Amino acid sequence: MSKYRITVDGKTYEMDVELIGANGAVVQPVAKAAPAVSATVAAPAASKPAVASSGSVTAPMPGTILKVLKADGDAVKAGDVVLILEAMKMENEITAPADGVIGSLSLTEGSTVAGGDLLFEVK
Amino acid sequence: MDSIWQNGIDRLNARREQVAAAGGADRIAKQHSSGKLTARERMEALFDDGTFVELNDQISSRCSDFGMDKKKKPGDGVVTGYGYIHGRVAFASSQDFTVGGGSLGEAQAKKICQAMDKAMVMKAPFISINDSGGARIEEGIDSLTGYADIFYRNTIASGVIPQISVIMGPCAGGACYSPAITDYIFMTDYAQMYITGPAVVKSVTGEEITSSALGGAAVHSAASGVAHFVYPDDLSCLNGVRQLLGYLPQSNADLSLEVPGTAVDNSAALADIVLADSKKAYDVRNVINSIVDAGSFFEVQEAFARNIVVGFARLDGETIGVIANQALYMAGSLEINASDKASRFIRFCDCFNIPLLTLVDVPAFLPGSQQEHGGIIRHGAKLLYAYSEATVPKVSLIMRKAYGGAYIAMNSKGTGADMVYAWPIAEIAVMGGSGAVSIIGKKAIEAAEDPAAKREELLNEYNEKFMNPYIAAEHGYVDEVILPEETRSKIAGAFQMLKSKDRELPYKKHGNIPL
Repeated sequence: MSKYRITVDGKTYEMDVELIGANGAVVQPVAKAAPAVSATVAAPAASKPAVASSGSVTAPMPGTILKVLKADGDAVKAGDVVLILEAMKMENEITAPADGVIGSLSLTEGSTVAGGDLLFEVK
Repeated sequence: MDSIWQNGIDRLNARREQVAAAGGADRIAKQHSSGKLTARERMEALFDDGTFVELNDQISSRCSDFGMDKKKKPGDGVVTGYGYIHGRVAFASSQDFTVGGGSLGEAQAKKICQAMDKAMVMKAPFISINDSGGARIEEGIDSLTGYADIFYRNTIASGVIPQISVIMGPCAGGACYSPAITDYIFMTDYAQMYITGPAVVKSVTGEEITSSALGGAAVHSAASGVAHFVYPDDLSCLNGVRQLLGYLPQSNADLSLEVPGTAVDNSAALADIVLADSKKAYDVRNVINSIVDAGSFFEVQEAFARNIVVGFARLDGETIGVIANQALYMAGSLEINASDKASRFIRFCDCFNIPLLTLVDVPAFLPGSQQEHGGIIRHGAKLLYAYSEATVPKVSLIMRKAYGGAYIAMNSKGTGADMVYAWPIAEIAVMGGSGAVSIIGKKAIEAAEDPAAKREELLNEYNEKFMNPYIAAEHGYVDEVILPEETRSKIAGAFQMLKSKDRELPYKKHGNIPL
């Protein structure tokens, strides 16, 4: 059993990981979860919103672009703030879903967007 | 031993071996090479070590059409039985893809139904592991009726025992509706669920799509909201089922397992997590983790409708359900999917005697034609209905914004909250300041010599008067305004006090929740 530390959305989890035999025919499961509180954090963290890893980022809701922090061609890491969408009385940080290069970002500060509009792509 | 005994024993052993051999070594190897466990291995992984007991291993199909009597179907494509999870009994079925592709016929359905019936009599959870090509076509409508028998039992058992579906392979067509009726759906990355598969989609609509893009785990966890939990493989997934059951009672007549936790009070950190500038976002999961027992928060539907966070946690060892607006996504506003997600979670908790903690920071229901045309009235109503109907202890903490209809929808005093707390930075009002001033101060601003100054003056007056928790407290809508560092102890104290809560709805067959 090895210990791994993973960070998801800035939160750090510790996981116990055991290697399963190459044939996959493991009947004995890895340490069965007791209902103990310490065991309960690790697993759900593994289920990331996989859809978000696609390249296009769309507006989650209608609003106004308050700040554009990156430009086409900029390299970004997953989680980097690309722009700030002011909507519903809040400054909503729109982040890169994956590592890559920004493309199709034509918005400027003050632009208004509708929910579902393409904001930028990460390639 | 005489020869009659010997013959009888030999015959039984042969039949047992045949069932244990399932679909044969080749098909089992194929199952393993695709990263999956077999039906029985899954049972072993689900239950406490060595506790699984198989039932009805000899049930088999009576069908003789299309040469079906010549094809051996050991176990008829499903393994059923019971075992113990955290020492408590639970029943389960596990479809065997190595036997006839796990296809469901009359006998398989009968086997599953017998296990479900036992779960109901024993008032124990039922777990259904799905890995099946679908209906056994050779058995015609007897196969379809088999599904109906399962759907019917799922429905009757709903709210009586926890029902969990685990999708670990294909689950197509009518087979999707048993999981859909149950309380929670787990999927592995190998699983797919759809009503009509890619081939039919292509022939009918011309759309070309892969099975995982149509109904894979990523789709159902983030886009459709059908799946509640996703795991990379069988073992981690079944471990997840065990974790979930650790929070739940055996039935609606039972209380949840109490698990002593580390009662760390991190309330002092709360004022640094929730920023007083209400334009700034923060991750509400950090608030939850600072209040509940260390590491006990188990999020449900993490990737779907992220503007609301729901999940189970423990407070002083006892299970609670947490519902929290997530400022980090869509400013925490309520919309169609968030309303559906939270309502279903609230109703589950109410079915199973799990108290509710609601953390409020909500600007509004999301405006726009998309929402109106999608039926936000109908969907948002579910949230009000679910909170009002729930008779379990209900505690709210208004952290920051609580505006308008969304404030009322988030477990407000008027809809039956038992205890409502608010922090001193809470803003409990009909709407935010600038919107309000544009309406109530319209004429005064237009008439003023300096409209901007007038607007500023009215805004300050509005904010000073309304953007605080004290009017709500003076009028009794907030029970107490509390300091952040008092948060955990106040909430834990409220749930302790509410243990003897005794509230019943008037007699009815059932209510008519807007669907």
